[in-house]
Amino acid sequence: MASSRVAVIGTKQVKPILSANKTEAKRRVLNLYKAWYRHLPYLVKDYNIAVTVPETKAKLRELFLKNKHVSDIRAIDLLVIKGQMDLVETMRIWKQKTHVMMFFKDTNIKKPTAFLSRFYEGHD
Amino acid sequence: MASKFCRLFRPIAANFARTRFLQQANVVTQPCRNNTQSTGTTTEKRPTIRAPDTLMRKTLSEFGQYVAENLPKYVQQVQITNTDELDIMIHPDGIVPVISFLKDHHSCQFLNIIDLTAVDVPTRQYRFEIVYMLMSLRFNSRIKVKTYTDELSPIESICSVFAGANWYEREIWDMFGVFFANHPDLRRILTDYGFEGHPLRKEFPLSGYVEVRYDDEVKRVVVEPLELTQEFRKFECSSPWETFPKYQQLQDAEEVPMNKEGNKPQEKK
Repeated sequence: MASSRVAVIGTKQVKPILSANKTEAKRRVLNLYKAWYRHLPYLVKDYNIAVTVPETKAKLRELFLKNKHVSDIRAIDLLVIKGQMDLVETMRIWKQKTHVMMFFKDTNIKKPTAFLSRFYEGHD
Repeated sequence: MASKFCRLFRPIAANFARTRFLQQANVVTQPCRNNTQSTGTTTEKRPTIRAPDTLMRKTLSEFGQYVAENLPKYVQQVQITNTDELDIMIHPDGIVPVISFLKDHHSCQFLNIIDLTAVDVPTRQYRFEIVYMLMSLRFNSRIKVKTYTDELSPIESICSVFAGANWYEREIWDMFGVFFANHPDLRRILTDYGFEGHPLRKEFPLSGYVEVRYDDEVKRVVVEPLELTQEFRKFECSSPWETFPKYQQLQDAEEVPMNKEGNKPQEKK
């Protein structure tokens, strides 16, 4: 009885968001990555930000790799949807310079942790 | 001449229409309109803030049963709150059929969407409760339709039924992160561009994750991680306004019995 119940739970079908299987989800992720990648030179030009195109490419790669541990297809789909919305907001220049520079986090400098450097910084 | 004729004719026509409509069964609030005065004296004398309207409750429970009989596949539970409001709990697959039934059926006519919102209860298996509030101007009645979902299950959009639900669904997407399938224009509505997280989820800290300030060196607004982090948060779903403890004890909604045949087993909560 218990084993049959486990089997039922194991094969439980969930309603997909977009992708039916892993390859489809992967293709969506790659498509989104390519779309962002192609847009990056225009992004630098449109927003007139003090970042070079290779830097933006490295940042894009870093942001995608941040979610590489996600294995649930529906979670991947949701992330792709959010990334797509973000791309649209960026492409149509609904964002401002601030919002684009939020990716780069250029102003939050790490707080020093070593004893002496903390002393130089004036922290307790 | 024509207006005079109309003036003569209108009361007759109105009267005719009223008597014809009143003959229908299961119309939402029909007996209440005629009988509220006569039953006002027989209500119970319990010391509550608001006396329950027994006649209204009876009519609403009958209407709830009628809805449950018409949509046995989707309606899981019907209940009436202590403020005499009718709640219909449905399976998430049946949102569009149920809402379009309530909108288009001749004895419902809930043509107005008042609100559409979500409630986050993290302890439940399906943590989000989606609440649709509809109003029928024709029968002067309101109804709440409740369904449930979790973070990853998409909910069918009702924009095809109520165009006014568009922004409400965008708001739920933005505040709770519930994805609406087949929504015509799903994007953020309240939060700033680049905002991460869904602020009305219970795990979202009151102070947020970032703080925003103007930086004079880079000449723009910068967003930085919050220094004043919130350490611990206790989730309490009860109301913080314990003004009337006696009244609070009466909060339980009364379930309306429904005769279901061939219905799916309940999987709510």
